[in-house]
Amino acid sequence: MSSTLKSSPRKYRAFSPARVWALATNTVTQLVRMKILFLLLLFVVIVVAAAFAFPTRSPEQQLKLLKDVVFGALQVFSIVMAISATALLLPRDVEDRTLYTILSKPVPRHEYLVGKLLGVLLLIGGGLLFMDVFFSGVLWLKQTMITAANIEALKSEQSDTPENIAAVRALIAHQGLTWNLHAGVWCVFLKAAVVASLALLMSCIATSTLFTILVSFCFTIAGQGQGLLRSFVFKSLPVTWKKICSFVLALLLPDLGLFDQVQAVIEGNSIPLATLAETTGFAAAYVVLYAGVAHLIFSEKEL
Amino acid sequence: MIEEKKQSKSESPKAVSVENLTKIFQGAMGRKPLTAVRELSFNVAPGEVYGLIGPNGCGKSTTMKVMLGLLKPTVGSASVFGHDSDAVASRHDVGFLPENPYFYKHLTGRETLRFFGKLCGLGGSELRDRADAMLDLTGLKNAADRRVGGYSKGMLQRIGLAQALIHEPRLLILDEPTAGVDPAGSRRIRDLILELKARGITFVVTSHLLEQMQEVCDRVGIMSQGRMVREGRLEDLISVENQTEIIIEGASAEQLAQVRAIFAGSSGAKIMSLGKPRTTLERLFLETTVQTGDEE
Repeated sequence: MSSTLKSSPRKYRAFSPARVWALATNTVTQLVRMKILFLLLLFVVIVVAAAFAFPTRSPEQQLKLLKDVVFGALQVFSIVMAISATALLLPRDVEDRTLYTILSKPVPRHEYLVGKLLGVLLLIGGGLLFMDVFFSGVLWLKQTMITAANIEALKSEQSDTPENIAAVRALIAHQGLTWNLHAGVWCVFLKAAVVASLALLMSCIATSTLFTILVSFCFTIAGQGQGLLRSFVFKSLPVTWKKICSFVLALLLPDLGLFDQVQAVIEGNSIPLATLAETTGFAAAYVVLYAGVAHLIFSEKEL
Repeated sequence: MIEEKKQSKSESPKAVSVENLTKIFQGAMGRKPLTAVRELSFNVAPGEVYGLIGPNGCGKSTTMKVMLGLLKPTVGSASVFGHDSDAVASRHDVGFLPENPYFYKHLTGRETLRFFGKLCGLGGSELRDRADAMLDLTGLKNAADRRVGGYSKGMLQRIGLAQALIHEPRLLILDEPTAGVDPAGSRRIRDLILELKARGITFVVTSHLLEQMQEVCDRVGIMSQGRMVREGRLEDLISVENQTEIIIEGASAEQLAQVRAIFAGSSGAKIMSLGKPRTTLERLFLETTVQTGDEE
């Protein structure tokens, strides 16, 4: 052998945010180029259609219905994106054997998982941010138009006193664009983040994309109805046992009802900051729990 | 470009060391366990080109996966430059080209190299320069901004080789590097291996194209049914002990007839070389291995 090379001067680090970021941004690029964001166009159509629907209802009802439809769409899109995007990643990397090439680099398996999850969360977060901005714009426009129409109506009835105008403005503003709307969108994101981490866990157990999608959807539906399940199944149990069983169930199955704060937003009520912080804490706990279990399974997985 | 740095052999550990490796895959749902590799041991010295050959299903890919930490040994161990192959740090000095490499189809060739470079800790101008140098080395400069999804088989192999080299590894593990590549592309890859070997890079290569292996390998190990059945220097392995080879220059037909009768004393002809004739690596391979599915 004529010569040998020295080891590379670059130092290996057990955790590298740069590697995680490279995996995350690659995941975003991959999903964007897979045209998953076409879902956003569908969302835009729904928002615009909802904005012009229900013209015969009262101003308050019109705004409520607009928020109701849009938040429904936001939740469906974020859950669909969370499950399908996550399920498309890991099983596909295994099926395509791209995973071999990635893990043959100095990339620890936990970084791969964190990078993929972060990529999906960035995509969902970016998508929700776009939807939030677009929805806010449409809601503000609708609110302005309704206010103007109502003030016009007061004028035609010759009852456009400052008090009446202020009352109309206050009523419409209560159901219109407030910071609460963004808090509602944040809760939608939290729920999607929990579902994405659950789908990541499923994808570590499953061997195919289809299986991951189906099981994740089943768990999501069951998680959504967990409150109902608890009150129905555990109602006959003593209080202590009820608490223990509920806790175990909440660990095995995410209690997605915890993140359902949008009804308050639709009704025009505010979400207390403490509730928002608590919801964020629950979401973080679920994400860490599911990602941790996913890591335990994935680190032992033979490829 | 890869910087050539000499280092004394005493300082460098074995590039690859596989000790008594056995890998058993547990059968799912009552199926019998499958022993893919049995008590396999071999070493690869730094700067050497080591060919691991054997029929399909003989355990070559499993051995490579263990060397890369993708699989854990059931018994035994594997290490790369002194690091246990299970440790992520061992991959710092390894580049891997899988068989039929798949990359993210949505990325261009340049983006693919930059992505893998980032995973290896490269960044900034160093990463850009390395990616460009690798595109140049593998002849993919003109296709650098095309999506990998549109690459031909040969181009995929070359971008695979480029990503394997992006972080200047000391060891390259190539699984069937010329599989499905046309003769010209195949020769290009072979030339690249020889060029990199000259720079001191260690190789572990598997291939079914034995003629090519014969051209590039210093040593080979022949595996059959999970075991190493022959191993050694290529020159030694392909020598036939009980035969003698005579190479004669300028002999006429009559003289050749005389040479066949008696080896010495014929005028005008001289013996240029006296040595051992060689079989081909291909013949040796077929003689020493059992195809998967054959009886033991």
